[in-house]
Amino acid sequence: MLPLLVLISEGISASTDLFSHLWQTVLPDYISNTLLLGTFVVLLSVCFGVISAALIVHSNVAGKAILRWLLMLPLAMPAYLVAYLYTDLFDYAGPVQRTLRLWFNWQNFNDYWFFDIRTLGGASIIIALVLFPYVYMLARTAFELQDQNLLKASRLLGLSAKQSFFKVALPLARPAIAVAASLVLMETLADFATVQYFAVNTLTTAIYDTWLGYSDLATANALASILMLFILFTIVAEQRARAGQAHQSNRINKIHQIIILSNTAQIFASGFCWLLAITGFILPFILLLLMAWEYSTIEQFFALIPSATNSINVAFWAASLSVVFALLFTLFKRLSTDKWRYLPMQISGFGYAIPGTVLAMAMMSTFAPIDYMINDIAKFFNYSPPGLILSGSIFAIIFAYTVRFAAIANGTIDSGIKQIPRSIDFAPASLGVNLSTMLTKVHLPLLKPSIWVAWLLVFVEAMKELPAVLLLRPFNFETLSTKIYQLISDEMLEQGALGAIFIVLLGLLPIIWLNRNKDNTSQ
Amino acid sequence: MTDILNIKDLRVSLQGKTILSDVQLTLSKGDILGLVGPSGCGKTTLLNTIAGFIEQEQGQILIGNSIAITPGNNVAPQHRNIGMIFQDYALFPHLTVEQNICFGIDKLAKKEQQSRLNNLVKLLELTNLEKRFPHQLSGGQQQRVAIARALAPQPKLLLLDEPFSNIDARLRNELMLSMRHLLKSLNITAIFVTHNKNEVFTFADRISVMHQGSILQTGSPASVCQQPINWQVADFLQLGSWIPLKVQSSITYQTALGEVSCLNKKVSSAKEDKIQQLLLKPHYIEICPTSTANVQVDHITITEQGFHYLFSSLTPNTELAFKQLSYYSNELYSLGQQVALTIKTHNFIVFNK
Repeated sequence: MLPLLVLISEGISASTDLFSHLWQTVLPDYISNTLLLGTFVVLLSVCFGVISAALIVHSNVAGKAILRWLLMLPLAMPAYLVAYLYTDLFDYAGPVQRTLRLWFNWQNFNDYWFFDIRTLGGASIIIALVLFPYVYMLARTAFELQDQNLLKASRLLGLSAKQSFFKVALPLARPAIAVAASLVLMETLADFATVQYFAVNTLTTAIYDTWLGYSDLATANALASILMLFILFTIVAEQRARAGQAHQSNRINKIHQIIILSNTAQIFASGFCWLLAITGFILPFILLLLMAWEYSTIEQFFALIPSATNSINVAFWAASLSVVFALLFTLFKRLSTDKWRYLPMQISGFGYAIPGTVLAMAMMSTFAPIDYMINDIAKFFNYSPPGLILSGSIFAIIFAYTVRFAAIANGTIDSGIKQIPRSIDFAPASLGVNLSTMLTKVHLPLLKPSIWVAWLLVFVEAMKELPAVLLLRPFNFETLSTKIYQLISDEMLEQGALGAIFIVLLGLLPIIWLNRNKDNTSQ
Repeated sequence: MTDILNIKDLRVSLQGKTILSDVQLTLSKGDILGLVGPSGCGKTTLLNTIAGFIEQEQGQILIGNSIAITPGNNVAPQHRNIGMIFQDYALFPHLTVEQNICFGIDKLAKKEQQSRLNNLVKLLELTNLEKRFPHQLSGGQQQRVAIARALAPQPKLLLLDEPFSNIDARLRNELMLSMRHLLKSLNITAIFVTHNKNEVFTFADRISVMHQGSILQTGSPASVCQQPINWQVADFLQLGSWIPLKVQSSITYQTALGEVSCLNKKVSSAKEDKIQQLLLKPHYIEICPTSTANVQVDHITITEQGFHYLFSSLTPNTELAFKQLSYYSNELYSLGQQVALTIKTHNFIVFNK
């Protein structure tokens, strides 16, 4: 919370000249682009996610066993990669337009119309294609866990299976869909690389440009504060939508009311789901594999090793620290009788809502003055100044990652500890065992699987994170994601295709775990 | 009387496993049938099949005179004119009491909807609760809303799936009686599923005992209790204790409590020297202070009917030995005390176990 408060106070004291210049020139466009992008992505994601989840749970759509998990895979694909691959595929010099020109004997772009992917609309579709699985997963779980007696009751009260879905199942899933939509909105507001690549100017790109272009930290902080305001609105809206969730039941009943689709409807429904899976994951992944196969060399592979090592290094420390803090917060919440015992976990979980760019600005605003103070003190005692040991080292990156991904570690370990019956907390004391023995011999061994999963999830997210590290990295420090982003910016992804495949494969790990977990819940 | 439900030769399989087989059932207008049986015997599957949530593999379900359901002619649940009250009531959490009750009658004219709503609200004492949501109601109020909602479309048949299992034991009897009174006053035909024998005796006009997917016996509670058709029926309804019995001659039988005589047809048809099981109700046993002790007290419980004793025979390793014989008395015996029991002459109920 402290870096965020520093950021807001710095933002308030921003140079009014530059800020008013921005306001008179580009800022209204940046804000409207941000809002339009957020709206389009949320609408598209809800549309894709709810329809596909409804078809998988409530209809007899063909191939649902495989589509069920295929529809989750786009989440592993970073949006900027898909953006690059589709631009490569669909732009003027790409294979699609080249083939069309050859077939129809068109000479140049004046002879035909073809959509331009590098627009706000294009960015919205690309981001929605990789973010809709949030909606799909939460809506699917909501549909599956709904008390099937409610649907049975509606059938006996005169509704067909289809009417019953629209009048009962869908309204009951509304809180889950709202949560997913807010997640999608937060991820969209946090996106930097896709919009930057498509030259769609949003608040995140404005923050980046203001800091790196104008070196004006205060104005960048002011822009970050505006972005944070949008995030806060999203959180409040989500909380309000979630208020109805208390009505929902977790009773599982195996008889699902299935809407029987006609043959034509089957073709459309199945085609819709396959189209989402193909465009969101299968096609970009194949394109990446082809790119790696065609262009990768052993030298490129070795060239990626230093940045991969850096990525692993920061991700390792971020994951380890997040898990340690999560363990402390979770155990404190569970074992303390203090009425504020929930607070540390709640506050630390807030970091996930902060976009990486905003977080990076907050870190810089907090650590840079501390660094200057340390240097002044060193000089005062006649020591050589140690330099920017906090803001100019990987410490800031690890700290930012730990803050940003604390919610993941907290959630995983907290759900793990909830599986341990309360009586287990009291049993050791009744046997004369003290608290530390109880923790080391009972709770930690029981929490071991959750600890591993939490560590893995944070590790994977940290490996993929881009905006924060772009702003916080020390000079000449590259991670795998910054390296790939750089290659994409230079239109040379071919050289980093192997690294991109590595990031995608890493991204699949939490999805596999999530899928397994969800299947267990459903069973 | 008009038949509201007629089930013939019903068979249902789920995932290749036969769940219901050879089910026959007839229900007349105004009948309340209690469907009982141990957990997993197929009661809820039968209810779901009647409601239309599961398709039958074989047999016919006739609802009233107009709806005939066969494997080739399925009728969707919404067209069967059946109401159902679920164990958890399944009230729509996003709708108010009023909206829940009117859910199944929203195609009717507004005036008719309002009239039915008013009648049901008054009948079920839900006045002033119409605008509340289900989570703002007590368990009993929720149950009454579920009844009102199920009755609003005026179904031909009402299915009740363990509707009292979530109710506090003290209130349960009261609610059962008031619900029975309501169904009777509206002349509603109902099937009531439970695994609690006491509930079925309080609530139903007739009972059907199910076991492993089949209906073993159907009749009035009194007739089923007096003449259980087989061991499973008697055992599920816990009509008494079982003690081994050996046929000595056509009229004399040997038990661990001594030689007994009876002219009961069923017993006399048993083969000599064969061990069978005698169903012994507590009131057919008496303590005989002058005779030699043949049982000992293993367990004592205090009940509203006096002390409840569980006796075991004093000859534990013989073929006629028994471990638990139930007996009620106002006299206090001590644990381990040995006493002499005799069996009063009555119409024996004997089965092969």
